[in-house]
Amino acid sequence: MTVIPTYRSRPSALHAARAGVGAGFCFALALAGALYRHPLILAGALGGIVVAGLAAGVGREVARSLRLALPLALVIAVVNAVVYQGGETLLVRGGEFLGRRWDVTLEAAAEGAFVGLRIVVLIAALGGLMSAAVDPDQLLKALRRVSYRSALTATLATRLVPVLARDAGRMGDARRCRPHPPGRLAVVRAALAGSLDRAVDVAAALEVRGYALAGRPERGRRPWSRHDLRIAAAAIVVAAVAIAGAAGGAGHVEAYPTLDVALGPAELGIAAAFVVLGAAPFTGRGARMGLRND
Amino acid sequence: MTEPVVRAERFGYAYPEGSRVALHDVSLQLEPGTFTVLAGVSGSGKSTLLRAMAGLVPHFHGGEAGGELVVGGLGVREHGPGELAAVCGTVFQEPETQVVMGGVRAELELPLEHRGEAPAALARAVEETALALGVGHLLERRTDTLSGGELQRVALAAAMVHGPQLLLLDEPTSQLDPVAGDELVWLLRRLNEDWGTAVVVAEHRLERCLPAADRVIALVEGRVACDAPPQEYLAWAAEAMPALATPAARLFSLAGLPGRPASVKEARAGLREAGLLADAEPARGSRGRESSDGGLLRRILGRADRPPPALAMRGVWLEIEDGPTVLRGLDLLLRPGERVALMGRNGAGKSTLLRLAKGLAEPTRGRVERAGEVALLLQTPGDYLIHEHAVEDAGAAGVAAAGLAGREQANPRDLSGGERQRLALEVVLAGGPCAAVLLDEPTRGMDRAHKDGLAARIGELAGAGAAVVVATHDTEFAASFADRVVLLGQGNVIGDGPPDEVLGGGRHFSTEVARVTGGAALLPEEAARVLATAEPPAAVREVAP
Repeated sequence: MTVIPTYRSRPSALHAARAGVGAGFCFALALAGALYRHPLILAGALGGIVVAGLAAGVGREVARSLRLALPLALVIAVVNAVVYQGGETLLVRGGEFLGRRWDVTLEAAAEGAFVGLRIVVLIAALGGLMSAAVDPDQLLKALRRVSYRSALTATLATRLVPVLARDAGRMGDARRCRPHPPGRLAVVRAALAGSLDRAVDVAAALEVRGYALAGRPERGRRPWSRHDLRIAAAAIVVAAVAIAGAAGGAGHVEAYPTLDVALGPAELGIAAAFVVLGAAPFTGRGARMGLRND
Repeated sequence: MTEPVVRAERFGYAYPEGSRVALHDVSLQLEPGTFTVLAGVSGSGKSTLLRAMAGLVPHFHGGEAGGELVVGGLGVREHGPGELAAVCGTVFQEPETQVVMGGVRAELELPLEHRGEAPAALARAVEETALALGVGHLLERRTDTLSGGELQRVALAAAMVHGPQLLLLDEPTSQLDPVAGDELVWLLRRLNEDWGTAVVVAEHRLERCLPAADRVIALVEGRVACDAPPQEYLAWAAEAMPALATPAARLFSLAGLPGRPASVKEARAGLREAGLLADAEPARGSRGRESSDGGLLRRILGRADRPPPALAMRGVWLEIEDGPTVLRGLDLLLRPGERVALMGRNGAGKSTLLRLAKGLAEPTRGRVERAGEVALLLQTPGDYLIHEHAVEDAGAAGVAAAGLAGREQANPRDLSGGERQRLALEVVLAGGPCAAVLLDEPTRGMDRAHKDGLAARIGELAGAGAAVVVATHDTEFAASFADRVVLLGQGNVIGDGPPDEVLGGGRHFSTEVARVTGGAALLPEEAARVLATAEPPAAVREVAP
């Protein structure tokens, strides 16, 4: 099991939508993390991501991304609380050390938590939902029209990461099988050398597939499916709500000198909208996938 | 007259930095639509010749090329692999690194995108190729979820998707189990017959390919030593290089029978013609199946003075969380000095059993008891060779034991596959005497000479008192070294006995000679003895299919 979720084809509206549209939906949900610091709105966005993940059949993958993001968020929250001395509500008097005071205020702790929550939303949307539900090959194929070699390199990196991870795992096992196990550094060096061998093999495979002749691929005309339309519509509405709310001053948060978090109908409405819009493309008859031999 | 698809005139090649001359004065001509097998021991130049036909030599690898090699009308010294890709598709040995995209559909689309195909033509070519090569059901799969056999078929489809006139394959079955390997060869035969694609395949297990071949080109030290139809090639090999003959051809040679059969069917016809194959129930030769009563009695009587097991697995289960149950209450006792071939289809649990025996994994239930140290050589010997010099990995004694005395300072990466395997074995044995030595698929991609060397080393280890267990798909190798064959299936032991008992009567797990002789013998030498001593026409009897 890899730390970062990997894409698997599944019978869901998000998987069925074209990669650009699926990625747009995930980016729209991530936009909430980029535009807001408001905890309720961020929680709403996170709720929308979780609901979308569950509906798309990638709930486990989203949960895995959360397990990756939460410790990071916690670290950010703790560091901000300890390092930043702003705020008037003292929670812990830490005394003096290294020539400065180490007090913890409610405002600094809250600000750290908001930033951490923001990181969680971004990781869940892009590292969880998008990684698991949007086909990277299709996405990179679209990008190959912009920069062919860069996009192909990114594709190869995506493909080779699990291969190299397996190589490293195997070398670790081989190390355990030796009566006198060598130092980890020697194994790492050998694994690096092995990855270069892999790279040479892949380069040879690319050459015989005609890589030297590669030009900019032609754009394919593909009619929009109902899943493309529904996911695209949801993405546009999520982005519109997020931008309009932020432009209209909703989600006001002021951490210092005292904590001031707006909690009115706008905040409640935006948070609820994110949850509902996360679920919207997966509900109703239009989202049904029918029978598939998967 | 049709233009040959490949024409070589005194073509030669040396790798860069003067390390070695790989091809000398190679002259040959391949007609369109022919199926050609390249034969030769490891290091004979097969892969280099294929890479030259694909344009990788000299453009990708560097080095010096001389003479002329023209593929599909393009000279390989003037045209690189990108241009040659238009006329030939190439499939390499290792499935993992020749599939470059994350999804199967994207993998098949890539060569067509490189050629600038229009989306409609691209979509049709992908669909048709996938269906024709039996990978249509894999199109939406991720490549990292495919088995080795599936990956190799995807690589074949990617090589064929633009309809090249020539297909080059470098030991494409060496990393596959026998079933996947046979399926791949059947596919090649179909491509050759239905599509008219010329096929050139380098392969160690010739018995797999020869029935489909129109001709065989044998390379010895970079030179063409034989270029002939299969029967003529086998006649040459039996005389000049027995290591390159198939088991059935060796049997005919040793038994002094006329002709050199290229398939089991031909071999049986030859035996029938000589009056050595009768139409009846199978009779067993000198290694025939024991009566079950006698065998049981001997086992009971023998039990009292048997030494304690070197390795015992009692009621072992391995249930993967969120995954399959790999082993189901498996019981297995291995005595000191036993040479055991562990066989079974892919996924039967062979590698898992070895990992549990070594202690790399713990059983979910059950016990593993070890009488001493257990050495395990996993499937990829290169994983054990992590230093710049062989001597740093195995020590001077280990290098000598691997038969590499004088090459202590060699970089393990420069050694051949067989040499790396031997060196890696000495690395895991460096801790002193072991109660058990376990080898996981050590003969993949090995030629016969290296296999004979490995069998001899296994004999030495067993002679020193270690129980030696080799997980293998190679029935010929199992018959050559083992005194016991354990067959795994459904997570448990489904067959356990001497090789002639387990491999003599099997449909899949049997040697080529056993299929020819109806199980009377497993190996050519033994079968020749049976044929020489038995009274015709009942020397061996035909087995109903």
